[in-house]
Amino acid sequence: MFPGGLGYLRPPAEIELGAYGLDLRGLRVADIGTGEGRLALGAARDAASVLAVDPDRGALARGRAEARRQGVSNVKFSEGAAQSLRLPDASFDVVIFSWTL
Amino acid sequence: MVDALTEAHRILVERGVFVDARPDSRVLARVRARSARGRVIGTVGTQRPTKTDDVMSDRAVREVLRRKLFRSRRRGRLWHAIPFEDEAELNDYLRDHLRFSRRVEWRVPRARRHNPLFVERAVRFKILEKRSNDGLTSA
Repeated sequence: MFPGGLGYLRPPAEIELGAYGLDLRGLRVADIGTGEGRLALGAARDAASVLAVDPDRGALARGRAEARRQGVSNVKFSEGAAQSLRLPDASFDVVIFSWTL
Repeated sequence: MVDALTEAHRILVERGVFVDARPDSRVLARVRARSARGRVIGTVGTQRPTKTDDVMSDRAVREVLRRKLFRSRRRGRLWHAIPFEDEAELNDYLRDHLRFSRRVEWRVPRARRHNPLFVERAVRFKILEKRSNDGLTSA
């Protein structure tokens, strides 16, 4: 069961992002608490760039591998915590906390 | 939690968009039989500590709205169905789950719990927009 791995336990990115109703084309997106990058990889289809942040190194490694497998080049995976992001001020158009708070 | 929301505000451009999406612990998950749109044959609640966490998260969102860091733009809900081959697999899943209650409240006898089973849960989201820093007020 769970043919899509653990990501199968969450809504598919296109469904969740579609529900938000946001036009991500050309935007800089930060997905904070990305886990294995489920939403980040979905957002990367439209966004100019996506930064995928999570404290779990193992999850980030799996996300990077999945990005390589999908040929996605505009997602960067970075270790970090939502409470103390080492990121510049005013550097993103969209910030997503999905299953994060 | 307010710290994380304040960080999100800091890294957003003016009028940038913030999304908070989480399972909706105020709503019971539905167990459906045979298909994701099948008959509801049971429900699954949320563990009390998780409900408390969700209340704290809601409070944090209200706090940053009160501080005028963000304005509310939209809210909504989507439903997500997770498939299980049978009751045994569902029970295994619930046994270690961090959010769901450990057991299903069945509405029908075992003989009518036709497989596969689908747990459909609500995910709610809020879309906020970053307000001008001019509007900031202290906590």
